[in-house]
Amino acid sequence: MKTVFRHPREVFTGKRYWRSLEELADTPQFRTWLEREFPSGAAEMELDGVSRRNFLRLMGASMALAGIGLSGCRRPEAYVVPYTKSVEWLIPGKAVLYTTSMPGPLGGLPLIATTYEGRPTKLEGNPLVPSSNGGTDLFAQAVVLDLYDPDRARTFLFNGTETTAQEFDHYLGTVRKELESGKGEGIGILLDEQFSPTRDRMLRSLKEQFPQIKFYSYEPVSFEERDSAITSLFGPDVAINPAFANADVIVSLDCDFLGTEQTLQGVRDFSRRRRVNGSTDAMNRLYAVENRFTTTGGMADHRFRCAASQIPAFAVQLAKKIAGSTNDRVLSGVVAELHDTGTQFDDAWLTECANDLVARKGRSLVLAGNRFPAWMHSVVLAMNNALDAFGSTLTLLSAPRVKVANLGDLVADAKSHALKKLFILSGNPVYTAPADLDWSGVQRSIPEVIRLGYHVDETSTVANWQVPEAHFLEAWGDQRAVDGTYLPIQPMILPLFGGLSEIDILSKLAALPNGVQAVRDTFKSLTKESDFESAWTKFLRNGYAEETVYETAKVELNPNALPELLKNAGPLPGPVMPSSIEVVFPADYKVYDGRYANNAWLQELPDPITKLTWDNAVLLSKSTAKALQVDDGDMVEISVGERKLQAPVMVAPGHADYSLSLSLGYGRWVIGRIGRETGFNAYQLRTTSAPYYATRATVKLIQKNGHQLVQTQNHYSMEGRALVREGTVEDYKKNPGFAKAVWMDAEIPPNISLYSHPPLNAPNQWAMSVDLNTCTGCSACVVACQAENNIPIVGKEQVHSSREMHWLRIDRYFASADGDKNNPHLEDDPEMVMEPMMCQHCENAPCETVCPVNATVHSEEGLNLMVYNRCIGTRYCSNNCPFKVRRFNFFNYNDRPILDRIDKGLPGFQGKSELYLGPLAPWGMAEISKMQKNPNVTVRTRGVMEKCTFCIQRIETAKIAQRVKAGVQGNLTLPTDSVQSACQQACPAEAIVFGDLKDPNSRVAHLRALPQNYHLLEYLNLQTRTAYLARIRNPNPKMPGAGRVGRINVDENGDQRHGLPHAEATTNGGNA
Amino acid sequence: MAESDASTTVFVERMPRRPLVWNNHSMAWISDRIAGIVENKAPRWWWISIAITSSFAGFGVFCIFYLLFTGVGVWGNNIPVAWAWGITNFVFWIGIGHAGTLISAILHLCRQKWRTSINRAAEAMTLFAVICAGIFPGIHVGRIWMAWFMAPVPNPNWIWPNFRSPLMWDVFAVSTYFTVSVLFWYLGLVPDLATMRDRAKGRVRRTVYWVLSFGWRGGNRQWRHYEMAYLVLAGISTPLVLSVHSTVSFDFATSVLPGWHTTIFPPYFVAGAIFGGFAMVLTLMLPARSLYKLHDVFTWDHIDVMCKLLLLTGSIVGYAYCMEFFVAFYGANPFERFAFLNRYFGPYWWASWTMFACNVVMPQLMWVRAFRRNWVTVFFVSMCANAGMWFERFVIFVISLHRDFLPSAWRMYSPTWVDAFTFIGTFGIFLTLFLLFIRFLPMVAMSEVKSVLPESDPHYHPPGAGGEETVKEVHA
Repeated sequence: MKTVFRHPREVFTGKRYWRSLEELADTPQFRTWLEREFPSGAAEMELDGVSRRNFLRLMGASMALAGIGLSGCRRPEAYVVPYTKSVEWLIPGKAVLYTTSMPGPLGGLPLIATTYEGRPTKLEGNPLVPSSNGGTDLFAQAVVLDLYDPDRARTFLFNGTETTAQEFDHYLGTVRKELESGKGEGIGILLDEQFSPTRDRMLRSLKEQFPQIKFYSYEPVSFEERDSAITSLFGPDVAINPAFANADVIVSLDCDFLGTEQTLQGVRDFSRRRRVNGSTDAMNRLYAVENRFTTTGGMADHRFRCAASQIPAFAVQLAKKIAGSTNDRVLSGVVAELHDTGTQFDDAWLTECANDLVARKGRSLVLAGNRFPAWMHSVVLAMNNALDAFGSTLTLLSAPRVKVANLGDLVADAKSHALKKLFILSGNPVYTAPADLDWSGVQRSIPEVIRLGYHVDETSTVANWQVPEAHFLEAWGDQRAVDGTYLPIQPMILPLFGGLSEIDILSKLAALPNGVQAVRDTFKSLTKESDFESAWTKFLRNGYAEETVYETAKVELNPNALPELLKNAGPLPGPVMPSSIEVVFPADYKVYDGRYANNAWLQELPDPITKLTWDNAVLLSKSTAKALQVDDGDMVEISVGERKLQAPVMVAPGHADYSLSLSLGYGRWVIGRIGRETGFNAYQLRTTSAPYYATRATVKLIQKNGHQLVQTQNHYSMEGRALVREGTVEDYKKNPGFAKAVWMDAEIPPNISLYSHPPLNAPNQWAMSVDLNTCTGCSACVVACQAENNIPIVGKEQVHSSREMHWLRIDRYFASADGDKNNPHLEDDPEMVMEPMMCQHCENAPCETVCPVNATVHSEEGLNLMVYNRCIGTRYCSNNCPFKVRRFNFFNYNDRPILDRIDKGLPGFQGKSELYLGPLAPWGMAEISKMQKNPNVTVRTRGVMEKCTFCIQRIETAKIAQRVKAGVQGNLTLPTDSVQSACQQACPAEAIVFGDLKDPNSRVAHLRALPQNYHLLEYLNLQTRTAYLARIRNPNPKMPGAGRVGRINVDENGDQRHGLPHAEATTNGGNA
Repeated sequence: MAESDASTTVFVERMPRRPLVWNNHSMAWISDRIAGIVENKAPRWWWISIAITSSFAGFGVFCIFYLLFTGVGVWGNNIPVAWAWGITNFVFWIGIGHAGTLISAILHLCRQKWRTSINRAAEAMTLFAVICAGIFPGIHVGRIWMAWFMAPVPNPNWIWPNFRSPLMWDVFAVSTYFTVSVLFWYLGLVPDLATMRDRAKGRVRRTVYWVLSFGWRGGNRQWRHYEMAYLVLAGISTPLVLSVHSTVSFDFATSVLPGWHTTIFPPYFVAGAIFGGFAMVLTLMLPARSLYKLHDVFTWDHIDVMCKLLLLTGSIVGYAYCMEFFVAFYGANPFERFAFLNRYFGPYWWASWTMFACNVVMPQLMWVRAFRRNWVTVFFVSMCANAGMWFERFVIFVISLHRDFLPSAWRMYSPTWVDAFTFIGTFGIFLTLFLLFIRFLPMVAMSEVKSVLPESDPHYHPPGAGGEETVKEVHA
């Protein structure tokens, strides 16, 4: 409640004193002036529509909603608590943590949200949940920025004009009446694929109340085909999850299970079987068949380049081999049903791959990309069946789902005028729907379209109602994790712009309780505990409900359903060739299907494989580029049937020939400031019949160098330098310390330092270990670092000028796995390795000696400190940093507009970022963007250097906490591994481990004692605190080319590379 | 000194040395000619020139203010190339600032009397070059308003500058050099300022020169003190000439970066600086000599000697280039090898080969006497050396930085218009200052030139009496 200042009444006795004529006259204007808290002109943070009062109100409200620490929400009702008296449990500047979860197409992701004064600033995985190790994927790290997106939808729009929430509420009331009168006739709801029990409960209730109501579901990157195969073969409500913990041999048929199709449990279990901790016995082996390099392919021991349209044929041939050696009746039947395409694959590869699978029968696994047709999934399921995978490496779960129709049905209903009202509760179908459906026409033909949208986007423009959607951090909800664990979605803050959630709308339509009560009702039906309130509190505190995992489904593959599925196989597409090129539409690593296109962190993040930022591009192999006579940045026109798309090409090592990949999610036309003018819209080529790859495409060069592609790393080769060190299991068995004997390290004399340094004698000595054997390059750590450390984005133009600010980058190198110089595909089929690179915290830091003002110094704990206040920006430290991990604020990236362009002015300025306007550009960060900042980390100004600090704020927080706990004379030793850096915490593969080197029990001390531990550039006597664990590959010795796997530190003669540059690199360096 | 080339001069070998001032000019002629430049009305070309140079200077200053208000990002610098044109220009100008003090101090100590004709202008050039150099370290830092952190002043934080940092050494080396050079230059000016005072007609003019000349009367005691002071300053300056560029080279030599981390840098940088400095002296003095008809003071003999110095220092630089390459090969450090191969065969090969051609190949023309005495070739070679020395710094800084240890961090660098105009702007500042100098101060050290005239020799025979013929210069 706003406290209105009341001017005390004058007591009219004696003389009347007055201070101004206005007061004497006592005009209404004077009264208002008096009552205003601030004089007019003093802004009340009106810039972003959140007034100071509103902001405080929201914060207070969210405080009231939430509880102490992890104790959950004791007071579900929303109170407005004035900040004049602080909330009892709130200590300004001290984080309060809540459990929640993030909805996703593969199930919910258990999370812990860090909030400061009611503002969620950072999301972490919830390690309490048994299926989680506290890691997250990339999107969970970035999604907190969406909450503070200045471009998000803020108002209710009806036919384009602003209206109010009350109006919409009233409208929903009329819809409810209409539902009641017509039993739901003519009303449809379009949803996405989600695993929310509350949502499902409401849908079921709606269906019960109004049997005529229709539910549709659409997910651009869908699991429909796989699910339909599973339903046909195993019956309804069955989910199949891979159990990587049990898998010794894995064959991935274009299944990016460590990338866009990842589940965190999958990544964790896979990595645990990759990690070499003394013995290599437990190590798994991964075969990957794919058309482009994926993060999964990068982790593979054997990778087979294969056009995506050929992968079904590959699957058939693999099935034949397996059928041949297992004599499995079902699989033999499947194989007999299928025609051969005549496409020839490397027979030895297929044979040995199949043999390896069969040899580990019961411990092996074949995975297929989700978007392959259902018949191929049935072949793969039959293969797994023949390999006895079910029950061992594949778990069958009973996961009940609500029956929904698909987008095709929706279009048919709309065309038959059966739909009068359509609620689009998620997704952006105008942008993502297959091009052949003419979705925007369909949407226009529906009389009333109500759209719940996070942004005013393509779909909103052809909807009658645009309702602002609440972020999942703003609303109550729930999720099931991929294994079925029941997870809460707790609001951290009241909806910033009064948005609604799906559940809000559904509950209104179904006349069910809303908000927290809705989730409580669902929980009531799930929990087995007697005391509901304590179970509920525990549920919110732990962030999951115990014993809620899906039950194992006791079903078996029904071979009788196979012929029906295999009928759809039809003639397999012939081989790709110059006249018949295929185009593949993978989900993007950064913007997924386009939903994250307005997320600045993700747009600026380099793609894990291509290192491309702010764009997508048509990826093709070098041979294909040569055949098409195109090069990086050339604009081409791709024609598939009648559909055409212009996009730039980019040569991608490891890509299959005559196959093009253009990731989805870019080229949106109604979007906020971030996503504007980024990339090219692959949906234009995508049809219902060819959702994943289109064949028989032709490519025409339109313009040489027509588009500026900006990469953060444009040199592919390691130049023979042993930066990433790898070997095979054999190498490791022969010499576990093989990584130390590589290259110059084998020859360096003992080093001495010219300078004497202060002793490093503090009780804690911080260090990091990065396991190159498990790092997939997914880049969650990069965004985690950005979120934790208030790292600004700089925009495409500045990235092009090599000024990106990421403290942590992931170096990606390609190395020719094949030493045979006569092989024309030498550069087409390389190995890919990843190496996270951040400040190495050298004990002998070259940056420290050269700083003239002592702005970068060493702490007794071994940290290389950066003192922003002291830095004057000579940039000498960066020059002397061998790793080039220091970042410089060339402009005031936080306070000046980065993405706005100068539209008129002098010729040198036109079209450039408004950063170049200097003092003439607007100043200041949007209020809403300020809310995301971590208060424990400085927001840096222009002219100062910055770099990885090993998350010193977390170290200090832990130390202070220990000091408080210890009291006056207590023990100041930190508990083992009690500090996690942001990158470590985010890593689902547990590749980054940070900790105290002095603590013998710490994980980092243990890892650094492993024989495969090595330090970079040891000859410089840097004494780096970050060490790497060499990569160990597990090739199958019988495979063709096995002798070349894991040999990137070895040249074609079998000798160690001596670091002499390739002739190509020095003479043809211009393209680097 | 046998003079036999009759095509250029006719000279009778009767004196042991050729006179340093040709055509038997008297002391009065020298005073008139030199002081006349200042006293007469400024010629039209001077006005045109200063209008052009000051415009460039003005635009350069605009660029500097734009940089300061906007951020270092208006330049092309990036990560990994955090130092680019700014430091290139700094070292370039500092290098140019070597010739003057070298001519005044080292040649004075070596009793090279020919220095007297050129030392004043060369010293002025030194000061202006150091001023231009001083601009860059100042403006290239991210937060110039905090640059005072580099000063060792007591502060409540108890933080001192980092004396391990070569940049700190730089600050001291350059500021010391500048201070001593100013003192040295001004001391040399005092007798001439007194001459100007004595010749001055206007009251204002007389007062100004009167103040500036510190009451110089030319008395015996004054001369004795003056010469001692001059000698002492020459003694102080001499090591500074060698130390300042050695210190600048430490910025690079003490780093770990391949291409920077070499022990050869100090002598190589000093030789390069002298090379570049002499080239700039020639670049400025050749036009000045023609425009002010100073052919008899600044003679072909001077030019010849300076050309020989160009040849010598250019060859030292060339030796250093080759030795760097050899050491990179012989040292077997793959990073070093790569850095040097990349320097000459990488994407910036053109810069390295321009540097090599300008600094090593072109000066070899100076082996030929005819080229040393032809203003076209001399001017051409000195311009080459100017450009080549700028490229040398570009090559060392940018090429070494753009590809260092981790190929993942390799990036290209390209300058912006602000880079270009800031650099051109410093040329504007430099030339404007030089034009003002020749307008208001005697550009040749009159008193010193007079001291090397034959008349100054007590055993001097006036010309004609001994039957000598006049030395005549025939313009080639």
